[in-house]
Amino acid sequence: MNLTLPHLHLLLNHFPTIGTIIAIGLYLGAVLRSNDDLRRASLAIFFGLAIVTLPTYMSGNAASAEVQNLPGISKAIVEAHEDAAVLSFIAMQLTGAAAWLALWQMRRRSRPLRWHTPVILLLSMITFALMARTANIGGEIRHPEIGLPGADAAPIQESAGPVLAWLTSGSLRSLVVDHTWVWPACEALHFIGLFVLVGVVLLVNLRVLGLMKAIPFAALHRLLPWGLLGFAVNTTTGMLFFIGAPQQYIHNATFYWKIAFVLIAGAIIFYQTVFDEPWEVGAGEDAPMRDRIVAASAILLWAGVIYCGQMLPFLGNAF
Amino acid sequence: MDLLARIEHIGLLTWVRESSSIWAFPTFLFLHTIGFAMLAGLSAGIDLRILGFARGIPLAPLRRLFPLMTSGFVLSAITGITLALADATTKLVNPVLGVKMVLIVLALVNLRMIRTRVFARADAGAQPLPPGARRLAAASLILWLAVTTSGRLIAYIGPVAGL
Repeated sequence: MNLTLPHLHLLLNHFPTIGTIIAIGLYLGAVLRSNDDLRRASLAIFFGLAIVTLPTYMSGNAASAEVQNLPGISKAIVEAHEDAAVLSFIAMQLTGAAAWLALWQMRRRSRPLRWHTPVILLLSMITFALMARTANIGGEIRHPEIGLPGADAAPIQESAGPVLAWLTSGSLRSLVVDHTWVWPACEALHFIGLFVLVGVVLLVNLRVLGLMKAIPFAALHRLLPWGLLGFAVNTTTGMLFFIGAPQQYIHNATFYWKIAFVLIAGAIIFYQTVFDEPWEVGAGEDAPMRDRIVAASAILLWAGVIYCGQMLPFLGNAF
Repeated sequence: MDLLARIEHIGLLTWVRESSSIWAFPTFLFLHTIGFAMLAGLSAGIDLRILGFARGIPLAPLRRLFPLMTSGFVLSAITGITLALADATTKLVNPVLGVKMVLIVLALVNLRMIRTRVFARADAGAQPLPPGARRLAAASLILWLAVTTSGRLIAYIGPVAGL
């Protein structure tokens, strides 16, 4: 049996919904018992879920392309699922970003700040509601037995409420495709995000490798949000490319490699944000061997991300 | 045959433009991006520090980044000139490329001024920043944003290579 993209989607798509409710439970427990370790653990799960949601969304697009024309599949429900997925994807990314920021601040202060609890709880509950809705609509694609009698897609789409009803994968696609300036503007932003991210990645990891040993790691830690800002700009513009022209990416092996490298590099950002070993490298000190290996890997992974991105039309089949 | 067309017919440049090898056009483009990201990215990191973010970072050790930025510049310049000459008839007449070149010269002069004014002394960073340092850093960031934007727009504005 081959692991196809629809399989991958079915494998991944439970994590965002179930993971979010588990992390919310752990986070509430941490708040009630003032347990900062538990709080960090639940924030880490939110960040991890945001990363996992990237391939979940993308494999869903591939799955949709494959099942849409099968007999017994309602195109309208697939589209409603996709629109629900866009909203829940955005909410999940915002939750992940807030969780990362809280983890970054707690690394320095060791105590949570006042904004953390209300913002994280609000965002994660919105995410859970949207994810559950996405999962519910998604379930109806292949399980007509759980659908309500006479249910069709129109009321499902309206259930997002009038405020967000315009934010669908269709409206995002026409934003990208119908205006000639949007794609070049996103390309420019994608490269701006790239160099900002590369600058922070090089500064932090070259220090760990021993280039500027007079700098304590904790001082460079203050630059990490700029790297994450570059990452956020590139996730946003990258998703707009993906939604605008999914056929260029869903059957493109170079693109799978790019996303795989992003996921591992994201895990390294997380390690360097919260773990003690890199944090404790002071001025003039050598980093332990494990951290040097991690640092060298980070530089190579981001170079790999750029290589795969650049090679999408050449090794891959985009454009 | 006019000059630009003759340039395009130089053997190496024809190979870069027309070869289906992954080492030709795609690799030159990749190395151009890598070199540029090293130069602009590290420069932006230094700019952010001068602007007052991550003040805990001592300035003096950042001097060791200048050779890396020089390497990044050399790499992106060699590959960039090759790419421009390989499509000389369309790229060298593109006004956006002219704008990009002017912006690069300004960014490099600005980076040179940051180096001489902020990093000149051995105890750089032990003293308060010299006057104008923040202005130079802000200008540097804006120039790299503008260089990147104009670089990307070359692919979308102006004459298109005969593909």
